[in-house]
Amino acid sequence: MPAPTPGKILRLHFSERDRYQGKPLYEAIVDKCRELRIAGATVYRGLEGYGEAAEIHRSHVLSHDLPIIVSIIDSAENVARVLPVVEEMMDKGLIAMSDVEVVRIQRSKTAKP
Amino acid sequence: MLGTAIIGKEGSMLKKGPAKKVTIYLNEDTRYHLESLYEAILRFLMHKGVAGATASRAMAGFGAHHLLHTPNIEVLSEHLPVRVEFVESPDKVEELLPTLYDMVSDGLIEVQDTTVFKIAKKESKPEPRHPHEKKRGQAKLMRIYMGEADRWKGEPLHDAIVKTLRMMDIAGATVYRGILGYGAKGHTRKEHFMHRSRDCPVMVAVVDTPEKILAAADAIAEMIEDGLIATSDVDIVRLIHSHPLTEASDAGTHAR
Repeated sequence: MPAPTPGKILRLHFSERDRYQGKPLYEAIVDKCRELRIAGATVYRGLEGYGEAAEIHRSHVLSHDLPIIVSIIDSAENVARVLPVVEEMMDKGLIAMSDVEVVRIQRSKTAKP
Repeated sequence: MLGTAIIGKEGSMLKKGPAKKVTIYLNEDTRYHLESLYEAILRFLMHKGVAGATASRAMAGFGAHHLLHTPNIEVLSEHLPVRVEFVESPDKVEELLPTLYDMVSDGLIEVQDTTVFKIAKKESKPEPRHPHEKKRGQAKLMRIYMGEADRWKGEPLHDAIVKTLRMMDIAGATVYRGILGYGAKGHTRKEHFMHRSRDCPVMVAVVDTPEKILAAADAIAEMIEDGLIATSDVDIVRLIHSHPLTEASDAGTHAR
């Protein structure tokens, strides 16, 4: 296994209903991460949850208002670069950052560096 | 099979890893004092708390006396070959061998190196439920990122990873499916409303002691083609059932 390098993980918590310039906020954030050449971002949808507004996010037949988590992992510098941008895009929610040791594995030739 | 004794008394020191396998070849009618020798050996092993021993009767064979024993002629005279086998830790085998050497008056004792890969023991009756106990400590969290369509030797990679972690006695693992993302392969993976995308991002989260996470990371790194492994320090607050064997409850090793 290659030696791990220190990095940061950023976790953004908000609602599926949140939007940014007409498209879902999570899509907008992932697009922005690509634009800023961040190593990777993953969006998860929770089953149930509640946040600062104390409203329960739960799935209904018609409305989708479930909790969303976006996790971004990269070096400390890159995370510092993306942090003010996503902070600007989110108008409510929560951002958590912690230290991680990262090992990137890339064996296939088709993958972009 | 003539007799089986699988018992886990205090004396057994058997655990995963290197061990010794002892095979004793006898004749069914060889006596030890008043009982047959294979029964006496089984009784002795059970008394010494050996994890398990099996005696089996052979179809046919010949030994030191160079007489061919076959069922046709020997079944009535009870003169067929019998094999007694057991697996124990090297220390335990060393302790048992002098007595076995003394007991086997006519036969052969063979000792070979072996590896114990799995010891599973079902509890005979469920443990009564005790109140929960909190355990706090330092641990590591490992997140492994991959695609849902990634494969390892024909099976889904995340399945293979969970199986491997289980084999390594890792405390627990959870697989998450993301709805959108990009990473090592550089392409966006997205879930669609009508037809589910077959390549959503997948993350496996694992928590255990730092040493076990390090060992697991090495094993998992070999299995992944494109992906990412991120580890971080976590404080754990674990709720466990406080039964008398809690010392052995690390990573759920129920068997001894």
